[in-house]
Amino acid sequence: MLKYMRGLKAAGDETESSATKMLAAKQLASSPGTSIAWTQKYRPKAIIGIIGNEMEQIQHWLKNWDEHFLKAASKGKGKIQNDSGAKKAVMLSGMPGIGKTTSAKLVSQWLAFQTIEVNASDIRGKADSKIKEGIGGSTANSIKECVTNEFLSANIGRSHRQKTVLIIDEVDGMSAGDGGGVADLIAVIKISKIPIICICNDRYSQELKSLMNYCLPIDFRKPAKQQMAKRLKQVANAEGIQVSEIALEELADRVDGDMRMALNQLQYTSLAKSQHLLSRSKDEDISPFKAIEKLFDFNAKNLKIDQRIDLSMSDPDLVPLLVQENYLNYKPSSASKDDSDLKRISLIARAADSIADSDLINVQIGRYQQRQLSPAGCISSCIIPASLLHGQRKILEQVCWLDRQNSTMGKNYRNLEDLHIHLLSSGGLASRKSHLGRENLRLDYFTLLGKKLTDPLRVLPKDEAVKNVVDFKDSYSISQEDFDNIVELSKFKGCPTLLDGVRPDVKAALTKAYNQGSKSNVIRSTDLITLPGIKKDFKNSSDTEDTADVEKKLQSDRLCLSWKGFQVNTDWWLEAFAGSGSSNGSDKGSTESSGERGGRGSGAAAKRKR
Amino acid sequence: MLWVDKYRPKTLDKVIVHQDVAQNLQKLVSEGDCPHLLFYGPSGSGKKTLIMALLRQIFGPSADKVKVENKVWKVDAGTRTIDVELTTLSSTHHVELNPSDAGFQDRYVVQEIIKEMAKNRPIDAKGKKGFKVLVLNEVDKLSREAQHSLRRTMEKYSASCRLVLCSNSSSKVTEAVRSRCLNVRINAPMEEEIVNVLEFIAKKEGLQSPQGFAARIAEKSNRNLRRAVLTFETCRVQQYPFTNNQAIPPMDWEQYVSEIASDIMKEQSPKRLFEVRGKLYELLTNCIPPEVILKRLLFELLKKLDSELKHEVSNWAAHYEHRMRLGQKAIFHLEAFVAKFMSIYKSFLISTFG
Repeated sequence: MLKYMRGLKAAGDETESSATKMLAAKQLASSPGTSIAWTQKYRPKAIIGIIGNEMEQIQHWLKNWDEHFLKAASKGKGKIQNDSGAKKAVMLSGMPGIGKTTSAKLVSQWLAFQTIEVNASDIRGKADSKIKEGIGGSTANSIKECVTNEFLSANIGRSHRQKTVLIIDEVDGMSAGDGGGVADLIAVIKISKIPIICICNDRYSQELKSLMNYCLPIDFRKPAKQQMAKRLKQVANAEGIQVSEIALEELADRVDGDMRMALNQLQYTSLAKSQHLLSRSKDEDISPFKAIEKLFDFNAKNLKIDQRIDLSMSDPDLVPLLVQENYLNYKPSSASKDDSDLKRISLIARAADSIADSDLINVQIGRYQQRQLSPAGCISSCIIPASLLHGQRKILEQVCWLDRQNSTMGKNYRNLEDLHIHLLSSGGLASRKSHLGRENLRLDYFTLLGKKLTDPLRVLPKDEAVKNVVDFKDSYSISQEDFDNIVELSKFKGCPTLLDGVRPDVKAALTKAYNQGSKSNVIRSTDLITLPGIKKDFKNSSDTEDTADVEKKLQSDRLCLSWKGFQVNTDWWLEAFAGSGSSNGSDKGSTESSGERGGRGSGAAAKRKR
Repeated sequence: MLWVDKYRPKTLDKVIVHQDVAQNLQKLVSEGDCPHLLFYGPSGSGKKTLIMALLRQIFGPSADKVKVENKVWKVDAGTRTIDVELTTLSSTHHVELNPSDAGFQDRYVVQEIIKEMAKNRPIDAKGKKGFKVLVLNEVDKLSREAQHSLRRTMEKYSASCRLVLCSNSSSKVTEAVRSRCLNVRINAPMEEEIVNVLEFIAKKEGLQSPQGFAARIAEKSNRNLRRAVLTFETCRVQQYPFTNNQAIPPMDWEQYVSEIASDIMKEQSPKRLFEVRGKLYELLTNCIPPEVILKRLLFELLKKLDSELKHEVSNWAAHYEHRMRLGQKAIFHLEAFVAKFMSIYKSFLISTFG
C-alpha cells in the first residue's frame, strides 16, 4: 500500500498542469528518446486531457460524497442510500483502453483526494474474520483496512489531512481468484467511510449483478475517431514523427476506440521507422450478418482459411444458423455458366450435406465434450457451404426461422405432452381407457379427435352440437386449452384449419358451456402430483419429511453463499443500531438469537428483508 | 369413448389378431412369472394392447388402477446434479415410462431411476417377495449409452423386477439387450384381419357397412390397425350411412407430406427447396416426428419415381435417416435429403430428356 501512495504522491505533484498542448512539449523536453511506453508518457495529466467522455457526473458525485454520507451519518441517520444519486460507490464501465483508470485518478486529484488503488494484482479475496477487526484480524485484507481506518478518513476533525478515495480497478476480475470478493466488496461499501470508485469492463456481467445495486453506474463511451486522431497527432508531433492525418484516422478507426492500443501501435510503428502504419487491425467484433456477407461474397475465394474461420467464429452459434438460413439465396459464381441450375442444385446438395455433418459434430461437442472438434464443426457448418455457393446474392424471401421455430416446436411438444397426460389419466385414477404413445396420439388420433370435436359444431344445431362436444371432451378429460392445442397443432400453413366454417356464436356457446360444465372429470396439469424426486432418500418414510429436507438443504446452500455477507450485515447493523434509535430493536433481537443456534433459515430471511 | 379404446381387447383370451402370440404369453405367465420381454413391431400392430392384457393376466384387475405422476428426479451425475422430469404411469405392480423423453440424459434415467424402482421390492399378499414390472416405451429411441447401462440393470435386479420393452424396430435395440429378453415379434396385422376387426366393431355398433368398404379402409390404413379403427370412426363422424364410394379421409399430415412430394417432383430449384423447407418446418412444429416425415416422404416420392432411381433414392433416405438419429437438428438432414433428391432427379431428367 505504501508503495502506491508514494507513487501517487509523485504523480500528484504535477496535478496542476492544465493545457494539453503544453503537456506534449513538456514531456518531450523532459525525457527525449527514453524508452517509457507512450501510453504511460502521454497519459493525460489533467481532466481536460481526457477525450471522449464527460467527467462531470463523477466529479459531482465525489464532491458531494462527504455531505451525503459522513455528515448525514454523524447526525444519526445512517441510511439514506435509497436517495437517488447518493450511492456510496461508483462503477465506471467501458471497454479497455478508453481511460477509465486515468479518469478516476485525475478526477480524484483534481478534487484534491488522495488515491489508493487496488487492482487485480492485489489479493482481494474474502477475509476470514470480521471486517471490523481490520488489520488486526487473521487474514484481513487491505481494503478493509483502508475503508475503516479512521486515520485515513477525513471526517474526524483533522481537516488539514488529505481526503482519500479508494479506486478498485478490474472489479470483474475479482470473481476468479478472489473467492467471495464481490460479496465482501459490497460489505465494504456499506461500512466505508471514504468514497469508492470501482472500475470494470462490463457492468452487465453476472458476477457484478449484486454489486451494481450499491453503485452509481457511469458508462464510458468510445472516443470519436476524429478526437482520437487529433490526440494521436499531438503525440506524433511531440515525438517528432511525420504521420498524415488520414493514416492516424485510419489507425483510430482500426483500434475501435482503444486509445491505449492506438498509442502502442503508434510507438511500435515509430520504432520500426516505416511509414507503413500498421500491420493488422484489432480483432474487432464483426456482426454475424456482416460475416455472412463476407463469406458468401462474390470475391470470397480470395479469403484465406484463417480469415474464414475468424469470420465464422465471430459468433459460433449464430453464424451457422444464418448460413443455413441463407445458403439457398446465392447464385454460386462457380456455376454461373449453366442455365439449367443443375450445377447449382448439386452444389446446394453438397452444402446441405455438409451442414448436416456439422449437426453431427455439434452433437459430439455438446454431448461428449469433444471441444477439439469445434474447428471442424465451423468448417463444415459455414466454410464449406460458403465456399461452394459464394456468389451473387439473389433474394428469394426474407424469413427468419432460426431458433424461433425450435422454441415453437418445444412449446407444441409440451402442449402435446399435457394433452397426452390428460388422455392417459382420463376417467380418473380408477380405470384407464386408452394407452397410447405421444407420437401416435399426434399421428393417428388427431384427425379423429379434430373431427369429433369440430364436426358437430358445423353440422348439428347449436345446442345439440355444444352438448355433444362437451360430453366428448369430458369423457376424455380434454380441457379447453387442450382443445385449442389440438386446433393449433393440426394447423398447416395454407390449409383450412379445424375451426374454419364454425359460426362464431357456436364457438362462444361452446366456451360458455364448457366453463359452466362439468369440470369434475377433468384433470389439469396442475393437479398432477409433482414431487421433488429424491434419489437417495428412498428409505425416508414420510413425504413431508422429504420435502422439508430438501427445503432445508436449499436454504443452507443459499446460506453458504450469502453467509459471509449476512454476517457482515449483522455487524454493520449492530453498529447502526447502536448509533440510531430503537426502531430496529426487534429485528436485531431475532437476528442475534437465530445467528447462534443454527436457525439459519431465519437468518437468511432476515438477510432477504434487508 | 373412441372405438379404439372401447373395443380394445382387455384380456389375452379376447384378442382377435395375434391370437397365437396371446396364447403363448398366457402359457408363459400361467406360473405367475415371466422373463424380460421385448415386444417389437410396427406401430398400430397391438404391442401395447398385448402388454396391458399381459399385465392384467399376471396381476389381475389391480393392474388397471393406474395413476399418472409427473416427477422431477434428481440424479447425481458425478460432479453435478441433473434434474430429470419424467411422467410415469404406475399401478401397484407396474411402472410405465418413456425414458427417451429425457433426451440425451436418458442414460441417467436408466442408470438411476430404474435402479431405484427395481430396488423397492413389493411384497405380495402372502408375504412372499413379488416382482414389479417396468414397461419401457420407445426403447429404440434410447441412446446407445442408455442401452448399455440397461443391460447390467436387467441382470442385477432380475429377481425383483421384470422389464417389458416396447419398440418399433428391433434393429435399433442393441444386441446385448435383445439377448437378455424374450423377443416377441408383433407383426402388422394382415388386411383380412383388419377387415375382421372392423366388421366386428360395425356389428357391435349396429352399423351397416357396405360390401368392400372395410376392405378399402384396411388397404388405406397401411396395415395399421389403430389407424384403421380411427379412420373407420372418422368416416362414421363424417357421413352415415356409409356409401360405397365414400371418400376415406387421409391423415392431415400425410396429405401435407404428399403435397411436399409433388412440389419436389414438379420443380427442382433453390426457390422450391426454400419453400419445401418452410413446409418441413411446419410439419416439425406440428410435432410430426422427423423420422416419420422422412419415411413418408420417401414413399410418396417412390410412387412417382422411375424405377431406375428408386434404389439410389432409398439409399440416400436411409443414409440421412441414420444421421438424423445421430444428430439433433432434424431439419438439416431433411433438407439435405431433399436437396440430394433434387440434384439426383434433375440430372436424371436432363440426361433422359435433354
